[in-house]
Amino acid sequence: MSRSRVVISLVAVLIAIVIQTTVFAPGRIQPLGVAPALITLVVIAVAPQVESEYLLLIGFTAGVLMDLIGSGTLGLWAMTMTTVAYAAGRLKHRFPDGLVYIGGTVFVLTVASQLLFVLLGTLFGQGTISEPGVFWKILLPGVWNLLLAAPVFWVLGKAFRTRQSGWAV
Amino acid sequence: MFLSLVAVGFVVATFDVRSSGDGASDVLREGTQSIFTPFQSGVDFVTRPVIGFVDGVSNLAGLRSENERLADRVRELEAQVQATGALAEQVAQLEAINGLAAPDQLTTVTARMNASGPSAFDNVRFIDKGASDGIVVGQAVVDEDGLVGRVDIVSANAARIRLITDPVVSVGVRVLSTNETGIVTGKGDGPLRLEMFRAKEAVYEGDRVITDGSRFPPGIAVGTVRKTADAEVGFVLRTEVDPAARLSKIDYVKVIVGWSPIDAGLGDDESTTTTTAPVTTTTEATTTTTGGG
Repeated sequence: MSRSRVVISLVAVLIAIVIQTTVFAPGRIQPLGVAPALITLVVIAVAPQVESEYLLLIGFTAGVLMDLIGSGTLGLWAMTMTTVAYAAGRLKHRFPDGLVYIGGTVFVLTVASQLLFVLLGTLFGQGTISEPGVFWKILLPGVWNLLLAAPVFWVLGKAFRTRQSGWAV
Repeated sequence: MFLSLVAVGFVVATFDVRSSGDGASDVLREGTQSIFTPFQSGVDFVTRPVIGFVDGVSNLAGLRSENERLADRVRELEAQVQATGALAEQVAQLEAINGLAAPDQLTTVTARMNASGPSAFDNVRFIDKGASDGIVVGQAVVDEDGLVGRVDIVSANAARIRLITDPVVSVGVRVLSTNETGIVTGKGDGPLRLEMFRAKEAVYEGDRVITDGSRFPPGIAVGTVRKTADAEVGFVLRTEVDPAARLSKIDYVKVIVGWSPIDAGLGDDESTTTTTAPVTTTTEATTTTTGGG
């Protein structure tokens, strides 16, 4: 069962990457000039569905793919998304507490991931922290992810349940 | 396991920084992009009309003022075209005498942007043309307003453009009003940084900045000076330049495939100071576009 859940999670990450780089590309849907961090949101959203060790691998894989498609130094998103996955794995047991807790976790982890990436980018000589508008690039994805959290959690939850019942049959 | 994966990421990052310019990471990036390109193209094809419709409806109020602004701009450009007609003829004659390729004769490939990087900190765009269309790494990419960036990674049917706003992209430029040269470098977003090391004259807000032909074809519009800056002897003149191209709204672009930096050797006599953006004839039979910058 774990393997099938990991496969679904990885497919979800791949779909998120395609949507992030097309639908949420500059000139498309970018409210206030900054897109949601959909890949981060998906990694958080699959947390309740897979074991923490697998979640780390999913986060790492998502980060490596982001590094390979992006323009920055390889490995920075890998470290960032692994950290997001680790934190999500530690916090997921509180997700059943309610939407407020989930929303808060999504917002905090998204903002923290953007901030961590900026710090790592600066550490590795990219000067990310001095980019114009960096504050909004850190904050706004958290806000948009907060708004997208409910539909994304719902869609992924349904995907896992559908697949599970399908195999049960 | 967490620490192990973070350590792996750290080692990869260190290796990537140290092997800057090495082809290993580019091969990985190219392979990954080749896998994603068909999916990105498909999603882009399906969602573009819907997003365009939603965008149009949501920006209805702004469209009227944008239309008026564009109408004014067209009138202004028509006046400029008339004024520069005779000048263009002189330039063509000079270019012929000096054996230069006229900017509007450069061969280009028209491409469409179909994806971007995965985060707000990426300054790359992906286009739907690649090596099979004659695109190679390093070629200049322009839109109707000016320089967009340079080709960074190429696969068979797609290519990645690194925008001029990327901090690793530097462009040799010339300020039209003073004819002095400098270097424009990206800052990740927003205006570009202009540095002129041997400037003797001040640059003023609104001065146009074009490529100097050292790395990209000469005469492509790069942007306009954002802040007036004085030249001080012995000091670097530093100011900012607003990019000419609207980088947040890129759709169609042209990749200049008919020019190599080797050609810059022919252009070193600086005889093209009055040229405008060489947006150009294309290799696509159905599209022949000229433009200015």
